Amino acid sequence: MRRELYRLNHSSSSMQSPDLSQNYFELFGLPVAFDIDRERLRTALRQLQASFHPDRHVNGSDRDRRMSVQVASWINEAHETLQDPVKRSRYLLEISGAEIVDDSATTSDAGFLMEQIELREEIESCREDKDGLQRSQQVADRLQRRADQLTNEFVSCFAAGNLAEAMQISHKMQFIQRIQQQLDELQFDLEGR
Amino acid sequence: MALLQISEPGQSTAPHQHRFAAGIDLGTTNSLVAMLRSGEAVCLADAQGRALLPSIVHFGEEGTLVGVDAAAVQASDPLNSIASVKRLMGRGSEDVMRLADALPYELITSGESSVPRIRTRSGDFSAVEISAEILRALVERAQQTVGAELDGVVITVPAYFDDAQRQATRDAARLAGVKLLRLLNEPTAAAVAYGLDQDKDGLIAVYDLGGGTFDISLLRLHRGVFEVLSTGGDSSLGGDDMDHAIGEWIVARAGFDQVDASLARHILMASRAAKEALSNGQSAQIVIEGSQHSWSGTLARTEFNGLVEGLIAKTLTACRRALRDAGVKREDIDEVILVGGSTRVPLVQSMVAEFFARKPMCELDPDQVVALGAAIQADILVGNKPDSDMLLLDVLPLSLGIETMGGLSEKIVPRNTVIPVARAQEFTTFKDGQTAMSIHVVQGERELVSDCRSLARFELRGFPPMTAGAARIRVTYQVDADGLLSVSAQEVASGVSAEIVVKPSYGLTDTEIETMLRASTEHAREDIELRMLKEQQVEARRVIEALDAAFAQDGDDLLSAEERAGIVRQRDALEANLESASTADLKRMIRAVEAASEFYVARRMNRGVQQALAGKQIDEVDV
Repeated sequence: MRRELYRLNHSSSSMQSPDLSQNYFELFGLPVAFDIDRERLRTALRQLQASFHPDRHVNGSDRDRRMSVQVASWINEAHETLQDPVKRSRYLLEISGAEIVDDSATTSDAGFLMEQIELREEIESCREDKDGLQRSQQVADRLQRRADQLTNEFVSCFAAGNLAEAMQISHKMQFIQRIQQQLDELQFDLEGR
Repeated sequence: MALLQISEPGQSTAPHQHRFAAGIDLGTTNSLVAMLRSGEAVCLADAQGRALLPSIVHFGEEGTLVGVDAAAVQASDPLNSIASVKRLMGRGSEDVMRLADALPYELITSGESSVPRIRTRSGDFSAVEISAEILRALVERAQQTVGAELDGVVITVPAYFDDAQRQATRDAARLAGVKLLRLLNEPTAAAVAYGLDQDKDGLIAVYDLGGGTFDISLLRLHRGVFEVLSTGGDSSLGGDDMDHAIGEWIVARAGFDQVDASLARHILMASRAAKEALSNGQSAQIVIEGSQHSWSGTLARTEFNGLVEGLIAKTLTACRRALRDAGVKREDIDEVILVGGSTRVPLVQSMVAEFFARKPMCELDPDQVVALGAAIQADILVGNKPDSDMLLLDVLPLSLGIETMGGLSEKIVPRNTVIPVARAQEFTTFKDGQTAMSIHVVQGERELVSDCRSLARFELRGFPPMTAGAARIRVTYQVDADGLLSVSAQEVASGVSAEIVVKPSYGLTDTEIETMLRASTEHAREDIELRMLKEQQVEARRVIEALDAAFAQDGDDLLSAEERAGIVRQRDALEANLESASTADLKRMIRAVEAASEFYVARRMNRGVQQALAGKQIDEVDV
């Protein structure tokens, strides 16, 4: 997959809060791009928390302890955002200055809507099926392919600077992710029966 | 002091000075205190060599007894001997009334406070106050053992404890007058006790089956950092259920038609004894001798296994869920640790071994392992091991939500989110001209608010009237490293900050705690005012020390001479008045130093972030 590097000009003038000058990618020493090195993200998280976690400031002053809670929270939030593909795509758009729009265009996309209904029905039908678990795995594979496809679309749209369309794709990624979670829940129930 | 000190592990600036810290397992039935002695964690025993302190407090004619002495008079004076108080921690009147049948005490649930109290001959006491008595006894034992004051303690709580229960535990520490370094989840403490942080990296499952609760936690260990990936369990499943299962078997076998309270107690005691005997033997003799009924028989281990298999299977379902939440497969688990007395049951060990396809670790006493881990963590937190890389990254055990229209809970922070964490959500008004909004904070996984635990109610008042849907109420949830929540709310559109009234649903208010502190015999002799002044002076010294250390580190790089002079002016004013100023003046001067150094802190923080990564990335980035 192509690796797109986007340097974003972020103002570093704001000093009220210590961290506003950095975006989440910069915080973890990662290039501002959709594709991320997960291992590096995880390592960076540990390195940052090793300095800022409240446990490292137990004997500090009241203000130090309060601040360490705030900074550690901020680091965790940044990590949570970057490790989730949907949140990461949304965040990328946000810091690129894309206009944040709701998902009404996506929900009115008839083709996508049909696809979703079909997927949901298929998942529900697995519940009653004695081969449901096996079938659900096929659905899971299909969903994963769909998610990968959307990811690719997002990356090229974003690279081409087509932020409005990238936003729509990001919404679609979110829908697929929700269906994946639903399927995950179902598979858990099926395995247990 | 707005000056987060950033020091690399192993580069502590302060001269090393040994501090005393203890780990406390504040249990339902028994409590323990452990400390590091000659580099090894040990549970501290009383003069008679007993490590377990029964969690019982007796209010007698001649004073208060805690532990074994209280247990000795429990039978003769049950109304004034308070046991199992952990079950009442953070609980409201309704919950307590539900437990009332099982508790022989006179419970007081009326009055101003939302916290129920137990009536004794010495007065009415909340669970927090009674827990504080137990804590005092344990702290006293530790201080006598080492012959010094404790600088802090780590107290363990079940991973499943909600916010109200954690707050109550923290309040108990405050009342006991001991510095709480951290509330630590019991399973996490167990993993620390096994010294796995010294070990190779991997995934660890901690299976904790106690008397009344089951907890499963999955942890990832990587270069000394423990990450809790998920926790789960069942807060009403444990060894007591096994006793009941045996009890029902006895009743059925013996054909007892009517079982009164006294016979039931006999049966339960016999059941427990049989269960314990079956941990080693293949069969257990059971003899029931009541005034009306008597019976004797033999329970074979195979039969016993049949009785409890279903219970253990339930724990494994919770394990599967925790695995799924963590996104790992059971074959990925590298170590399984057993905690809690009920894991002595052979079938538990074999079913757990089969489920995870590996032999679980059970070398340490499953009753002591939690306190031992807490002691190790306490020693690190208090600063005795500046070279330690160990860090515990924990998760929120239960989702935090807010009540929305229709009595539904909208989750703001989902369970298993890494803490500390801050999350904000915006809400709006539904009526034209609405100028107030009530906010109900709840905790739990269920969709209906009525099925969740109520934590607090807020009122946000005084924002300007707007058309329905125009107001933007931003509610922020901040969860700290102990899993404790604080909530703030603000109307964003008008920019007007509004007043918030907090009413904890099941917690003590600050005023109540203040009153208890003043009332407690321990502090009555002390001058509260003087104590507060002393605390503020200590805080002022910390502020000055932190600032001086920062100046030495990077004051020349990050500050112009003029900027530095501005901060130094406030710092010097604080130092000059340190001994003479009043508590209020000290507070004001500390705030002035904080305000003057705000921008400096911001610069240090940014640099700190860079350094945290840069310092190690060269050798670690491509692993």
